[in-house]
Parts: sequence; C-alpha cells; structure tokens
Amino acid sequence: MSTSTKIANKPALVVGIALILVAILTAYDASTMNIRSGYGVGPNATSYLVAGILAILGFSHLPVALKRMDGDVPSADWKAVGLVGLALASLIICIAMGGGFVLGSALLFAFTARAFGRTRFIADFAIGVVIGFLIFLLFNKLLSLSLPVGPLERLF
Amino acid sequence: MRGLLKAFAITGVALTLGLSSASAQDSLGDVSLLAPAGAGGGWDAAARSLQQVLTSEKLVSSAQVLNVPGAGGTVGLAQFVSSAGNDPRQLFVAGITLVGAIISNGAPVDLTQVTPIARLTGDPLAIVVPASSDIQTVDDLLAKIKENVGGTIWAGGSAGGADHMLAAMITQAAGADPAAVNYVAYSGGGEALAAMLGNQVTAGISGYGEWQAQIESGDLRALAISYPEPIEGIDAQPLKAQGVDVELVNWRALFAGKDITPEQKAAIDAAIEKVVTSDAWKEILAARGWSDYYMSGDEFASYLTEETERVRGVLTSLGLAK
Amino acid sequence: MEVFSLLIDGFSGALTPMNLLFAAIGVFLGTAVGVLPGIGPALTVALLLPITFRMDPAGSLIMFAGIYYGGMYGGSTTAILLNTPGEAASVVTAVEGNQMARQGRGGPALATAAIGSFVAALVATIGLAFLSPYMVKVAVRFGPWDYFGLMLIAFVTVSATFGASPLRGLTSLAVGLWLGLIGIDQLTGQARLTYGVPQLLDGIEVTTLAVGIFALGECLFVASRNLIAPEKPIPVKGSVWMSREDWKRSWKPWLRGTAIGFPIGALPAGGAEVPTFLSYNIERKLATKPEEFGHGAIEGVAGPEAANNASAAGTLIPLLTLGLPTSATAAVMLAGFQQYNIQPGPLLFAQHADLVWALIASLFIANVMLLVLNLPLVGLWVKLLAIPLPWLYAGILVFATMGTIAANPSVVELLLLVGFGLLGFLMRRYDYPIAPAIVGLILGPLAELALRRSLQISQGDPMILFQHWSSATMIGIAVIALIVPYLFKGLSRMGADED
Repeated sequence: MSTSTKIANKPALVVGIALILVAILTAYDASTMNIRSGYGVGPNATSYLVAGILAILGFSHLPVALKRMDGDVPSADWKAVGLVGLALASLIICIAMGGGFVLGSALLFAFTARAFGRTRFIADFAIGVVIGFLIFLLFNKLLSLSLPVGPLERLF
Repeated sequence: MRGLLKAFAITGVALTLGLSSASAQDSLGDVSLLAPAGAGGGWDAAARSLQQVLTSEKLVSSAQVLNVPGAGGTVGLAQFVSSAGNDPRQLFVAGITLVGAIISNGAPVDLTQVTPIARLTGDPLAIVVPASSDIQTVDDLLAKIKENVGGTIWAGGSAGGADHMLAAMITQAAGADPAAVNYVAYSGGGEALAAMLGNQVTAGISGYGEWQAQIESGDLRALAISYPEPIEGIDAQPLKAQGVDVELVNWRALFAGKDITPEQKAAIDAAIEKVVTSDAWKEILAARGWSDYYMSGDEFASYLTEETERVRGVLTSLGLAK
Repeated sequence: MEVFSLLIDGFSGALTPMNLLFAAIGVFLGTAVGVLPGIGPALTVALLLPITFRMDPAGSLIMFAGIYYGGMYGGSTTAILLNTPGEAASVVTAVEGNQMARQGRGGPALATAAIGSFVAALVATIGLAFLSPYMVKVAVRFGPWDYFGLMLIAFVTVSATFGASPLRGLTSLAVGLWLGLIGIDQLTGQARLTYGVPQLLDGIEVTTLAVGIFALGECLFVASRNLIAPEKPIPVKGSVWMSREDWKRSWKPWLRGTAIGFPIGALPAGGAEVPTFLSYNIERKLATKPEEFGHGAIEGVAGPEAANNASAAGTLIPLLTLGLPTSATAAVMLAGFQQYNIQPGPLLFAQHADLVWALIASLFIANVMLLVLNLPLVGLWVKLLAIPLPWLYAGILVFATMGTIAANPSVVELLLLVGFGLLGFLMRRYDYPIAPAIVGLILGPLAELALRRSLQISQGDPMILFQHWSSATMIGIAVIALIVPYLFKGLSRMGADED
C-alpha cells in the first residue's frame, strides 16, 4: 500500500542500529586486548569475526526498515509487563538487601499474579510465602544447598 | 493436594528440629564454610569433607557449605572478605589456583585480606606422555623442548592454572623462554586426557590422581611428579630427584575472616588440629586420594607469602600477570 | 557370551525388592528436581548425590542410576507444557513440543518424549554394555579438527530453527555467538567484553540464557497479551495418549535420535545439545509433512528427546572406560563413584566387574522404572495447565529464578537472567526466533575452541583441518549442506523473504 520512502518499520531500524553499535563495541574491545605471542589465532580474532557478522546483519536490517512490515506488531498491555518487571525487581532487591529467599519469592509471586489480573494481593503473597518456605526447607535442610537467608528464614 | 503440602511442611519441620539439636558445648558454634567454586569441584569436595569431619567429631554444632563460584574463586573471595570481617564462624576453603586467579584476573581482593588458618591437603601433579611416545625420561622431554619449544605441545587444565604454571616452569628449566610454551588448555584433566590418549599432543600435566588409572594400566607414561619428595605408591620420581629444580604442589587450605581475635583464631586452630589427626579425616584422604599437607600458624602464613610471590613470578613470565 | 552372564549376574544383584524401591525413589527424585526450570541434570545429580551415600553400595548405585536418568528426562516436561526448558538439551523439545501443548496435544507430546527416552536409553544402555571397548577407541581419536567439522555441520543445521526469515534467524544466532564471546578465553586467559565485572569472567551460563529467554521471556510476553487478547492453552483435546498415527510417526525418529545421540554422547566433548539439533534437522528433512514443523510436529519432539537420552548413556562410555567426565553431569557422577571407592578408568572393568555390571543392570531397571512412573504421570502433568494463569506464571517465575539462585547466588546472575528475559520478550514481540540464540551460545565457543586448538597444535597451519580424512569429510558435508539448497532456490532468497 504505502509507497513512500519513510521509515515504515521502526523496530527493524532500531535492531539494525543496535547490531551495528554492538559490532563497534566488540571490535573496540578486541582492539584493546593485549595479545601475547602465541600459536594459532588469538582470542581477538573471534571477536573481530563476530563483530563482522553483527555489522553485516545490522546493515542488512536497514533496507528492511524502509519496507512495509509484514503483519502488525501485536499490541501490548504495558501495565502488566511493568508489574512483572516490578515483581522481578523486588526479588532482586530483596536478595541484594538481605531480605532472604522466602520474602523475595513471595513478592515475586504476588506481583506476577497481579500482572495476570489477580486482585487479592495479600492472599497471593501468603501463597508465595508458603511456596518459598517449602522450597527453602527442601534445599537448605534436605539437599544442604544454601539459598539466601533473611529474617524470615532465621526463624527456622 | 493440601494434605500433601501439609505432610511436606511437617517433614520439613521435623528435619529442621532434628538437625539443629546437636550439642553446642566446646564447639565453634554454627559454622559456614565458603567454597569459591560450584558444587562438585575440588574446593567444594574439600569444604564438604571438612564439614563432615567437623560435624562428626562434634567440633561444631552445625556446619554448612556455601558455594560461590566464579572467576577462579575470586568472586567467592570478594564475597567472603566483605561478609566475614570479625565473625569467627565464617571459614573459607581455597588453594593455589585461587592465588593464580587473583593475580591473573587483577582481582580487587587478595589473600592478605583474610587470616590464613592451615594448609590441609597437597596433591602432586604428574608429567606424562602417551605410551607410544619416544620420550622415555624427563631428560628426553627437556631435550625436545630445547630443540623445538613450539613443537612441544602440552595439554592440561585451564590457562593460568597450576598445570599451565608447571609447564612454564619446566620449559624454563629446559633453557627455553617460558612465554613460548605451546600449552593447549582444556576444561579439565578429563578432556586433556582424551588428547593424550589420542596422541594429539606431546606431553600432559594434571593432578596425579586424575590420571592414576591410565598410568597404572600403561596407557600413559608418567615421567615425573611435581612433589618435592617421593610419594609411597607412586613409581614416578620427583622432578627434583631427577635433576630438574622445579616443584609445585596443588594445595588446599582454610582461611578465616581478617579481624578475628587471637583467642578466636586459637580456637579454630585447635579444632582443625583435631580434624587432621582424626581417623575420619584420614579415611577421607584415602578415599579421595588426597595427600596430607598440614601446616598451620605463622609457618603457613609465611609459606603463603612465598608461594604468592613464586606464582606471580611464573605468571609474569607467561605474560598473564596484571 | 561372557557379557551376557556378567549382565545376568548384575541383574541378580540389583533385582531385590529393596533395590527396586531405591530405583523408584531415585527416579522420582531425579524427575521431580529435574523438572524445575534452571536446574539441569548436573545440579540435580549433585544435589541428590549425598542422599545415596547413606545406603549400601548396591542400593545407592541403583538409586544413583535412577536419579541420573530421571534428571535427564525431567527437563522435557516443562519445555513441552510451559515453553520453559530446564536446560539447554531440552530447547529443541520446546520448539515443537510447546506448539503441540498449545493445541491440546500436550499428552501425546509428553508420551512420545517419555517412550522415546525409554527406547533411546534402552538401546543406548545395550550399546554401553556391548560396544564400550570399541567406541572408546574411536572416541579418543577424535581430535580438535574433528570437533570443528562436527560443529560446522551442527551450525548448518541450525537454520532449521530459523522459521520464516533467514535474516531474523541469523540475527538471533549472532546474538548467541556474541554472548559466547563474553568471559575469559579458555586458551589464553584473556578477558573479553567483561568490563571489569568479575561475575562475567566465567562467561554466560547457557542455563541462565535458556531460562531467561524462554521462561521469563514467555511470562512477560503472555502478560503483555493476557488481558487484551487472552489465549488460554487448551489442557487436553482428544486423547491424552498417543494415537496410532502418533506411534507411526514417532518410532523412526526415536531410533534415528538414538543413533545420533549415542555416538556423539560418547565423544569426549560431544555433549547432549549438539545431537538434539542434528536430530531435529534430520526429522524435518525426512518428515512426510514438513509444513507441520514449527506448528507442533510430533517427530520434532520424538527425535531430539531420544537423542538427548541416548547421549546420556553415551556419556557413560568415556566415564566408565577412561574415567573421563565429558559433561558437568558426568563430572558429578565421577565424584559419586569415588565415594564408593570406584575409580573409573581402564582398570575398572577388570577390577570391579561386579559393580560395573550392577550399575549397567541398574540403568536398565531405572529406565523401566522411569517409564512406569512417568506414563501415568502424563495425565497429571497435563493438568498443570489447568492451574489459573496468574498462579501458573507466578509459580514458573518463582521456580525459574530459584534455579538461578540455587546454582549461583549472585545479584549479577539474577540481573543477567532478567535482562535475558527482556530480550526474550522483545524477540517474541518482534517475531525473532528464540532457539538460534541458545544454539549460538552453545556452539560458538565449542567451534572456536576446536578451531583454535587445531591451529595451536599445527602452529598456525590451517591445512591441519584437511589433513585428517575425518575432519575433511565433515567439513565437506557441512559445505554441501549449506550450498545445495541455495543452488536450487537461487541466492536472492535471503532478501526476498523479508517481503
């Protein structure tokens, strides 16, 4: 339908540019390696090869960006995606700050369930705590593999 | 389903109570042993063996092993340095490979930031050639290196590890440039072994125990071991006894936090001395094929300093030191 | 024959009611832990090994065999049902298996995986019993140049997972190759693209990428669509069991998968992933309905799953005959053997014949037990999909992140996992295939090491790749496989497909 030469496929353009940038980054990294005398080829040769492949693919994306897209990008519920992101972030923060595995997992569980449309946050949090505790006991006590310990876990 | 969940929960509680009711008298308390490697490796095995003996000899009320793998152990060391501090219940297990990794990775932490407790085990490395090789003795190998250092292809464990260091030291002893050593690194003794058996390389280096079966069956010929003295049950003689002034022992040791008090250190020292003299520990050494290499106190501290400088020297000659 | 009488001795030692119970427990535990995304067979065996130490050698050995086969099998279940493979060897299974599950054919997919695993493990265990001494001689002859040839063939076959657009498939593959660069170079100790982050020095874990890009990516993608255009997977449509046609389409892939998986598994650096890629590609080439591939072809589950489990038995050949652990799982198993004072190696069959044959008999028993346990469970597993979506995906995320936390408790690793999850979400959203990225991360470093080791041994002479007939043949096959399709279809395809 569209015959204009405008950028019709923005994602392809973004991917193309991103690939080229990564290629430059990789080639730069390879150029800063100090290569000792060795036998065969050094580790930077592979870097240059991959950088070359990425650059070729990046430039191949550019003409595609001018063409019309085949099919639409599906619309997305960004609030739900954000909530899953929040769920994962709260797990990481919890682990990083020493809140322990159980609390982190419970938050992860509750926020994710919310992203999928659940509204009973407290109930989901309680389910998350139970699941987290079961996993924690299984790993720490039976399999003697240590999951991160926080205030909740110290009760045991 | 709910019944099942409940049953799980009850089992869990019962186990917890059972495990935490050991006597706490005269012990180090609830100890954690950090192994800076994944489950299944050498340091992990050492930490878990120590855990076993500390518990069975009732030297602790409980002991748990933490695995923090990464970057030759430096990730685990960094975590230990920041968490242990003056806590005498946190211990750390590592060895010569960590000394090398600290230097070659340019790690921001090193072993001066922990308190050395004791060296526990030390294993010899074996220098081997395939059975069909025309190299019969260490002198043959040295002559081959001298004649064509690039054509003498070595197989062994990871780059910068103890195997690589030993290959460089032997190359240097042969009068060649250690930086010119043609060392093909494999992910462990296993893959390197395949390269040896397939006659793809000239010589190989690995822990003696890893290749013991092939040496005894005659598939590989052990030219020498890297231990300073001969070891009972091993036919191959030390490099030193064969006129090559090179020794390297793959040791593993125990460390504690930097700021523990002298009394706390004395208590840990006493507990470890009981461990190494126990029958349980000797049984583990025999089962694992480890050699006792116990050394403690100031003697070990100064050994560690010397060893660090020696390793730095070798890695510098390989161009791997930062 | 001597082997038979030894095997019968092995069975007579292993077949006691107590030992059968241990086998059942081992298989159950192995499957249960192996089913968790992010916990592959290596970690499963490492975690469960201590449990076996509390028993007598025969009992613990048999339980150990059960854990091993159970752990190898467990990964496929979540791959099929939830599109979240627990380990790299199940990635290919997820491609077709999850499509089947979405169409309500999760039951047959799980069944063909279970029976295929059984057939493969059975044939491969027979191979282990009879062929070990011969196969191992061939396996150690396999030099780095030969591995390079094998990797080239595997690379060429990756295009089978590209879907409609070669450009997008290659981009995904290149992302995997790039991720494979990160970390310390194994041959020289040089760091690549690590920017001073110590956790990156060991490189990107394949499991972290697979779990992130599949499990987290899938979860984010489903969340983004769920409230706008809900697409509830159909738990069961038609029979939970395999139909006559399913059987007809499955049995050849099972055998072909076994024939590929077993010998490659026996190679010192063969691994379980490469045979699954090769098997998938062969099934696609041979299929009577190739158009079904990508939309739930049962052959694409049957073949790779058989290849995966056959390679698990193949791995035991170098382990038992050379004492050579060729995978992370095998390394853990080696530690296990040493606990029983068994030193695997050339003398093992001579010195501990009874234990070896007890182990092989245990593997047979564990394999039967696995089938007995898992076929009835198929109906139960499929019901997983009946859990309300919010809890199902919340649960997936908890287990997926737990696998990472358990294997490597570091915030950097978790951040990587989440980063890969975002990548997986964006790739799904903009229609880039997922599997090639993982293939790139697995094959890239293997191919690089093989090539550079070859050149190191030849001191820089590339002709070494062609001086060995075996590597020259494999490189030839790869080149032919790459060029021939284009000769027919014309070289302009790549651009034309973008339209």
